[in-house]
Amino acid sequence: MIALLAAVLCQDDPTSAMARVMQKLRDRVGRSVVALEVVRDKDPEGAAGSGPSGAHNDYYNRPEGPCTGTIWTEDGLILTSAFNVSGDVRRITVRTSDGKSYEGKRLGWDATRDIALVKIEAKDLPVLPKAKMDAVRQGDFVAIVGRAPDPDMATINQGIVSALDRMKSTAVQTDAELNYGNVGGPLVNLLGELVGVTCQIKPRTNWGQSGGVGFACKHAEIDKALPELKASRNTERGKEPWTGITPAEGAEGVEGVVVAQVAAESPAEEGGMQEGDVIVEFEGKKVKNWDEMRTMLAGKKVGDVVKLKVMRKDPKTGKDAAKDVKVKLTDNPN
Amino acid sequence: MRTATLALLLAVGSTAAAQEDPDLQKVQELQKKVHAVVDKTKAAYVFIGGGSGVCIDADGWILTNHHVAGGAQNWKVRFTGGKQYDAALVGFHPADDVALLKVKNGKDLPHIDLGDSDAMRVGDPVIAIGNPFALGNGNWEPTITHGIVSALHVYLDNPGYKDAVQTDAQINPGNSGGPLINMDGKVIGINGRIDVKRFLSRVNTGIGYAIPSNQIRRFLPHFKAGGRAFGGYMDGATVGECGDDRYENTGEFGEGVFIAGLTEETPAAKAGLTTGDIITDIEGHRPYNLNRFHGIVGSWPAGSVVKVKYKRFDAAKKEWAAKEAKVLLGDPEKLRAQEANVGNLFLGFTPSYDFDDLGVEVDEVTEKGPAAKAGLKSGDVIKKVDGGRVRDWKEFKAALNGKKAGQKLKLTVSRDDKELELEIVPEQRKVEGMPEEEGE
Repeated sequence: MIALLAAVLCQDDPTSAMARVMQKLRDRVGRSVVALEVVRDKDPEGAAGSGPSGAHNDYYNRPEGPCTGTIWTEDGLILTSAFNVSGDVRRITVRTSDGKSYEGKRLGWDATRDIALVKIEAKDLPVLPKAKMDAVRQGDFVAIVGRAPDPDMATINQGIVSALDRMKSTAVQTDAELNYGNVGGPLVNLLGELVGVTCQIKPRTNWGQSGGVGFACKHAEIDKALPELKASRNTERGKEPWTGITPAEGAEGVEGVVVAQVAAESPAEEGGMQEGDVIVEFEGKKVKNWDEMRTMLAGKKVGDVVKLKVMRKDPKTGKDAAKDVKVKLTDNPN
Repeated sequence: MRTATLALLLAVGSTAAAQEDPDLQKVQELQKKVHAVVDKTKAAYVFIGGGSGVCIDADGWILTNHHVAGGAQNWKVRFTGGKQYDAALVGFHPADDVALLKVKNGKDLPHIDLGDSDAMRVGDPVIAIGNPFALGNGNWEPTITHGIVSALHVYLDNPGYKDAVQTDAQINPGNSGGPLINMDGKVIGINGRIDVKRFLSRVNTGIGYAIPSNQIRRFLPHFKAGGRAFGGYMDGATVGECGDDRYENTGEFGEGVFIAGLTEETPAAKAGLTTGDIITDIEGHRPYNLNRFHGIVGSWPAGSVVKVKYKRFDAAKKEWAAKEAKVLLGDPEKLRAQEANVGNLFLGFTPSYDFDDLGVEVDEVTEKGPAAKAGLKSGDVIKKVDGGRVRDWKEFKAALNGKKAGQKLKLTVSRDDKELELEIVPEQRKVEGMPEEEGE
């Protein structure tokens, strides 16, 4: 009765109600979340942080420390972001919420969905119930549960579902802060049901970490990929030549591709391109709009160096000056 | 009574979990409100170029940032879901980063009303709709983020977000121009700026800024009339922060600003203000420091008349008297003329600000000025300066940077579908007392 009364009195305060809901979610969902300690050889190219980061594999560009996985089956299948266990991995140690440690074996990974499967020898692990996907909508309150930096303590980040159809429909988007610690952990709704496993946060993605743009591979998409993952078969991502620019589409009367954004450390930035540049030629051929340029890009390979002519306004004279830019295409990290 | 309400809720609770947990019920109610706002507003979101916009009227008036849509006169825009429309840039305020577009022949379009940004309180929940990192391109599903109002009336320079709403709702490159929306489903600001101090990456740090709806509402008639709008300023008055102990009787810091200097025959002087007066209120807003003072007056369009409350010290009686005045915030015609300045060069014509094609249309030609001497006529469209293409007035002005009075310039002009080459010789401008133009 006293408990009921207390509950009634607290009712009018949605902020603390949210806090208590999150505490409960963390405790309940946290049981199905594991910490992964992934040991790799030292970066053969040198210590992360020195030299251009483009010279290093992405996983050397994240801070050291455990990352997160989500228990997929009671008999020891763990789902995580492919990024977390990518590269030449020497050892994976999986730590469950009860403090037990297991040796993890990486099975398959799927680079398109950015998910991977790790197997531990365990039984009766707690598996999260799955959310009905057709009931998930923009604006749903959701949370990401992670297990880093302290593997014995689960973390929770709250947000909403920002979009339902991302990453070629394999993922939902959330504004809950996603970072190198909690990526691989579950995105759950208010009832603690799994919406998806968080993914697609890598040092070179445009949105970086903790920028309010995060993704979770939908659980149905994971189920689709599961047979391949279980059989230790990997799905490579088709390589997509990428410059790193975001075009401003729809401006009329401008011949060329207006550069709205240049991604940090992208080929375009390294080639010296700037926001506001107008790309007018691609390998000596006139480009009228983004559709044309996209087609031209698709005909190139990752590693190709393409010559672009851009028009750039000189801030002093105010005149458009043509500038040749060389861009070495990399694989699209997004 | 509360127990009764709870019993009722328990009886009709939607899920077993919710029935047992009143906290969860509360949060689910909040979630329902967010859903309702998303349902009400999402369709009015507009994809524009590399950024965002929002439709605020069934006829298709679209608000966005000047830095999103200021670069071209005509746009192909898409509403949520991807339906494409032709839109034209109509009005703009480069200094404050606002632009207004109009869907051509728009009818019955999804839209959201402007809300009251001054009624918002710090801590109020808000949502932002946008297209960060162009993630919605292709399926035209915008991104929705949720947060709170972190601060109000924030003053930022260059471009001047003079009265910004600060939010921790996540906004990123591509959100620019999109709406910040309150829980009534009304636009309380246009998102346009973020703090990106993180090394080498342009992503949100939890600090985003929006131009407030109340400022925009005051500018709307000017935007709709077409061309460039100008922010207000207290023409003729130099002000200082109250509590400045270098002077006598300047009041307490925070209560307002005092008039440190006044130029005769200016709007401020004509309104009856005098040196030493302390302005404590402008249209219900207290100018608690210098930034806030400039923020308040700048959030009104030039040419507005605002109600100012002030107090004046009576040295004989040794007491303050409360007073009121109506002050004209700058003369838009003067600002327009100033905007028509090209550095110190005098060309003798004003550009047409609502010309919606490429080039600079000549509006008025000053008698016997350089333009008149060159044979330039009203209605001419200047296409090139010394062979360099100029797409708008801004580019025209930029093309004249570094040119000197007396130095011949070649203008390529289109008149009645024919191209003409004219030579103009700019003169040295002789204007005094003009304030410096604000940076863009």
